[in-house]
Amino acid sequence: MQENSLRNWKIHLFVLILVCVTEFIGVKTFNIGIGAIALFPMLYALIIGAVISLPSLKILKMKEMNVAANILGISFMLFVAKLGMLMGPSLPKIFDAGISLGLQELGHFAGTILLGLPIALLLGMKREAVGATFSIDREPNLAIIAEKYGSDSPEGRGALGVYVCGTLFGALYLSVLASFLAQTGWFHPISLAMGAGVGSGSMMAAMSGALAVIFPESAKDIAVFAGAANLITTILGTYICVFFSLPFTNYLYNKFEPILGRKSKKDQMKNIGA
Amino acid sequence: MKDKILTFIIIGIIAIMGNWVGYNVSPIDALPGMMIIVAVTILGFFFAKIIPIKLPIVVWVSMLALLITTPIFPGNASIIKVTEQVNFMALATPILAYAGLSFGKDLKEFKKLGWRIVVISLVVYTGTFLLSTLVAEIGFRLTGKFH
Repeated sequence: MQENSLRNWKIHLFVLILVCVTEFIGVKTFNIGIGAIALFPMLYALIIGAVISLPSLKILKMKEMNVAANILGISFMLFVAKLGMLMGPSLPKIFDAGISLGLQELGHFAGTILLGLPIALLLGMKREAVGATFSIDREPNLAIIAEKYGSDSPEGRGALGVYVCGTLFGALYLSVLASFLAQTGWFHPISLAMGAGVGSGSMMAAMSGALAVIFPESAKDIAVFAGAANLITTILGTYICVFFSLPFTNYLYNKFEPILGRKSKKDQMKNIGA
Repeated sequence: MKDKILTFIIIGIIAIMGNWVGYNVSPIDALPGMMIIVAVTILGFFFAKIIPIKLPIVVWVSMLALLITTPIFPGNASIIKVTEQVNFMALATPILAYAGLSFGKDLKEFKKLGWRIVVISLVVYTGTFLLSTLVAEIGFRLTGKFH
């Protein structure tokens, strides 16, 4: 990253305006029959910001969007610092939830594979499925795939595809999903908060925001446990991905591809030929 | 590093404004807390640079923030008191504004993707969130904590 790639007054000015306007609008809930949709400032800021950045509007140059992305890459550290300061005084409570907190990390790491891989195979994906589903495909995960298979491999393309979708829609999608799950009443706010510790700063921020709007009386606990889960996911992330996630995904791929996978064109040709 | 420090200060100021508009905390009350948050973040970057253990910077920042607010740290009570003036939601809004403003940069890449990978990415994000929430919930019900 170049040093001057963080410098752009236009971007900061846009963010300042977005923050003031969206905080002024505040939280709004709409009832849409099947449940209420909670909209809150950070969500408006995300959506309005995205509209401003649309290339067809020609408001921002590609260079400026890259600066925004670079700033995003370090800005969530402030959020993480704030969560850390909420965690310090709550350490006894965090340890009290230790068993659940430890076990739910299994869900974070295995969830992408167990749900993603079978569906990817059913949709007819081949080795792309391994790269796409072995993790949430953020930057550290991309590096692991690139090192093992190369960026231009099928695995690399699968991982990059999920990375791009995650960058564009991950935070928005997950915050909507979090509001939806929160309103089913099946889960304790703290369980949902731990689930929000997916290992990506902006996604975790958007999800814990959505949860805090729905459970205002638990807002602090939500921040504490989302932060704690996210921290553990981040610390363990690289190791688990190298030593568990990737081998496990490959194992499942070899086992289930012959059953769930659609026959490739080559196989069909062979069958016709025989 | 100089640019990073400047960037954190700018984001801190923006968040203080959001904290004022959205949560009615005057900038004067929020300033000391925000200064601590910015200082801890910068220190986290510094630690990551000088300590030879290879850990992501976010881990250093988290650990440092956690340490200074635990009861073993002198003055933790006043640190907690001043940083409480900064609402965590107010700090998240600028982050997602930057995320929004970088949206257009990946659109071209996105248009090249097939529909399958888009579906799978949503499934992948659903999987990591849903399964961990489910395991946490089962854990809480079995141990009887928080229920």
